[in-house]
Amino acid sequence: MSLNPSAGSSPRASRHRRSRIRGLRAWVLRALRVFSRERADTAAELESHLAMHIEDNIRAGMTSAQARRHALVKLGGLSQVEEQCREQRGIPIVEHLIQDVRFGARMLRKTPTFTTVVVLTLGLGIGANAAIFSVVNAVLLRPLPFHDPDRLMWIWATNERSGVRDDVASYPDFEDWRAQAASFESMAAFTWRDVGVSTGDHTELVPALQVTPGFFETLGVQAALGRVFGSGETEDAASHVVVLSDRMWKARFGGRGDVLGQTIRSNEASYTIVGVMPAYFAFSADHPEQLYTPLVRDPSRNHGFLRVLGRLREGARMSTAQAELEVITRAIAQRFPKSNKNVGARVVPLVSALVGSARTGLFVLVGVVALVLLIACANVANLMLARSAFREKELAMRAALGASSWRLFQQLGTECVMLALAGGIVGLLLSSWTQSSLVALLARNFHIPRIAGTTTDRWVLGFTLALSIATAGIFGAVFGSASIGRNFGRLGEAGRATVGSSGARRTRNALVVVETALAVVLLAGAGVLLQSLLAMRSTHPGFEPDHVLAVRLFLPDIKMTNNPVRWTYFEQMLSAVSKLPGVASVGLVANLPLIGAYDRLGFRIPGRLTPDGGRFFRANFNVVSPGYFRTMAIPVQAGREFDASDSAGIPSVVINETTARKFWPDMDPLHASIVLDDGRREVQLAVVGVVGDVRQTELWGQPAPEIYLNVMRPTPPWPWLSVVARTSVEPSTLARTVTLAVAAADPDVPISATKTLDEVRGESVAQPRVYTLLLGVFAGLALALAAVGLYGVMAYTVTQRIPEIGIRLALGADRRAVLGLVLKQAVFLVVVGVVVGLAATVPAAGVLTSLTPAARPNDPATLACVSVLLLTVALLASYLPARRASRVDPTVALRQE
Amino acid sequence: MKEQKADVWQGTLALMVLKTLETLGPMHGYGIARRIEQTSGDVLAVNYGTLYPALLKLEQEGYIRSEWGVSDNNRKAKFYSLTRAGRKQLENEAKEWERTTEIIARFLTPGESS
Repeated sequence: MSLNPSAGSSPRASRHRRSRIRGLRAWVLRALRVFSRERADTAAELESHLAMHIEDNIRAGMTSAQARRHALVKLGGLSQVEEQCREQRGIPIVEHLIQDVRFGARMLRKTPTFTTVVVLTLGLGIGANAAIFSVVNAVLLRPLPFHDPDRLMWIWATNERSGVRDDVASYPDFEDWRAQAASFESMAAFTWRDVGVSTGDHTELVPALQVTPGFFETLGVQAALGRVFGSGETEDAASHVVVLSDRMWKARFGGRGDVLGQTIRSNEASYTIVGVMPAYFAFSADHPEQLYTPLVRDPSRNHGFLRVLGRLREGARMSTAQAELEVITRAIAQRFPKSNKNVGARVVPLVSALVGSARTGLFVLVGVVALVLLIACANVANLMLARSAFREKELAMRAALGASSWRLFQQLGTECVMLALAGGIVGLLLSSWTQSSLVALLARNFHIPRIAGTTTDRWVLGFTLALSIATAGIFGAVFGSASIGRNFGRLGEAGRATVGSSGARRTRNALVVVETALAVVLLAGAGVLLQSLLAMRSTHPGFEPDHVLAVRLFLPDIKMTNNPVRWTYFEQMLSAVSKLPGVASVGLVANLPLIGAYDRLGFRIPGRLTPDGGRFFRANFNVVSPGYFRTMAIPVQAGREFDASDSAGIPSVVINETTARKFWPDMDPLHASIVLDDGRREVQLAVVGVVGDVRQTELWGQPAPEIYLNVMRPTPPWPWLSVVARTSVEPSTLARTVTLAVAAADPDVPISATKTLDEVRGESVAQPRVYTLLLGVFAGLALALAAVGLYGVMAYTVTQRIPEIGIRLALGADRRAVLGLVLKQAVFLVVVGVVVGLAATVPAAGVLTSLTPAARPNDPATLACVSVLLLTVALLASYLPARRASRVDPTVALRQE
Repeated sequence: MKEQKADVWQGTLALMVLKTLETLGPMHGYGIARRIEQTSGDVLAVNYGTLYPALLKLEQEGYIRSEWGVSDNNRKAKFYSLTRAGRKQLENEAKEWERTTEIIARFLTPGESS
């Protein structure tokens, strides 16, 4: 006979299918019968089986006792068969699960304190994670609202020499990339540039996006109203068309439909509105743009100002695009070595580029809340271990009654999952309650796109569920591995208050150490941030920020190029503002302190060379008007500030202390002079005054050398200026009048909204403040959890040691000695934890400088404070159990044994 | 491990149950057990208990049905009988069994190669 598979294959296949269907039918029936009570039926059937068998046996000549016994043996045990039938009837796993859930719920209800503490602990841990995840989800994970967003890339220029990895590109470079990179379906570029928009009484500076052809097409967005730019329009700025953002359309045009075709005046020209973008489209992270204008081509390869984005071709990979761009940039560098020698390109997904610097912060927060959850897990594992010691008797009893250890493990696992899920629910509630405050806090201080879309959506729900189960896995595994090996079967011993198996005790101690260490890491992080924040707060900025109002303005080209016109304008404007009631003094400055802007220039000192033999020294240059130092209350330490007399005669500069100290350490700088040299001609400037140092760029670090030029003399082109006015009344009340006075001098000069310098100073520490606040909250949570954990362990240990302590006391031990005995154990664990934590902090602390450049990681004083704080809290947490130990009544304790 | 062995055992036992019911007509568990013991020797000698889960399974699969009735000795007992599906299943299984045993026999018979 041949084993031809085709011979019987068809009937066999159908038979297999049939038997599968039969199997399915059996399962469905079994599932349906999970809850039914057919046990009585089986019992009756077996009863009748036995009766018949016994009858037969008696007929065969046995005594009735023998007959019954024989029949039972033959059957193989009544209850065993019943159990087998029950398993065949129902689905054991499901049945066990229901049983376990019922039993678990009963056990958890029986120990409400334990359950509450565990659920709250897990709720806090999971809630912190759910809250941060919901932000990350909205900001980073949710697809961008553009067509096929996964293919959208951001292309940074890089500079090998300076190490800058996210630089802007020049127009010709962008054009070459666009023409040659085959991985990209399309490429476009844009730049952020504030433009002036006339509002009637003045010209307001509004953030705008200037875009190349194909910008909207690359993103795959269309105008909600009207149209985006045509390709001809984008090439040529002279076409004077503009597309409004939804925000601008609603704020300034009341969302009216007849806005198309209207004109807005900007930069002394009128622009025709051709379209309005949809509300969701707000591209810029740093300041939400108000309008879109075409970008003018700049042919210089030296001028980097473009941010480039591209859409990958269908199926093209990011790595391929990156490799391709590397080849292209190398070729460009060979052709134009002067401008492009070190210029490369880096492709990153658009979504991560848009989030910008807040990304690091978010990732740090994700790490921080993960640590908090780990602490919570350690805590819960610890509490469960303590409780399981009390439950040993029950578990031993169940093992003796026939429960397999697998079955007991299943039971305990079910309890873990129940606790974790309850914790997850609490966490979800906490997260959704705190979500709006968290989002408001972040949105106020960071420019994070899409953060407003943070909600508890199904991804957050899924994440929380998965996290809860993972959490159960973690603390269940720790708990389980510590209990495994404990012999549940030893019914006789388990009932007694033993000191607990040494394995479990070691685990409990290790958990306390781990918790403490994790808390140290978080507290040290928060401490370092707090320390830097306090340092920044207490740093005197070098000027008096209160009662000063600032207005930023942007000089149009015509004023930039014509000195007398500019000076006349400055004089008129400054005198108009100074005459306002409530204004004490007024000044003009190019780079307002603390907004981060500075201009570093080279200068010469006649007759001197730099230490390395160069001709040019470098310092930050700023341009100010007479009256600026008085207005800012920057002390003049030698000489004088600019005055009207400087408008004629020898050009002059004022320097700050650091400049004086650095460049003229052993002579009076007042008789020195410097030379500015732009390659075509040189100007000699006499130092007429030395003023106090100002924190020009930021509140941390050492002040840089600053040299001030007089705005009323020829200066390098500085189109951005700020008017500062010291007021005798609350400065914000003068915002409108100052704005109008500045505008009155020339309504065509665009000006920005006013700010008080107190606001400027606040903004300069806003982000460190938020990080400190958030990290502080989470570190506080960690500390509280660690304290609870320590308390739990100490309380348990004391309970276990009561007999021993009783003996000590009965033998005449001092109660204080007993107190010390317990505290010593706690302190030992915490000290080990602190040491481990500090060791872990040292390498991890570097990440803090990415949040706050001012942070001094591993500042010994901060770490010492953190250690002392933790030890204090630990002592408090263990004091209560220790006191209980010292108050043990020896007679009671001994009777317990 | 336990599972697989039980499956093999249950498969064999199921076939014997079906065959018994075909031969004897409706029969209670005890009767089936005695019959299988008599015909198969010691397969069921150890315990009758394993029969009942097998009966349950066959019933769930729809090959047999059960109803309470009265035995020869006037005892209440649960009687099992073959369904149509059961008959067909018996036929198929028996064929399959024959074929399998034939193949196995060929393999195990020494000196003969195909």
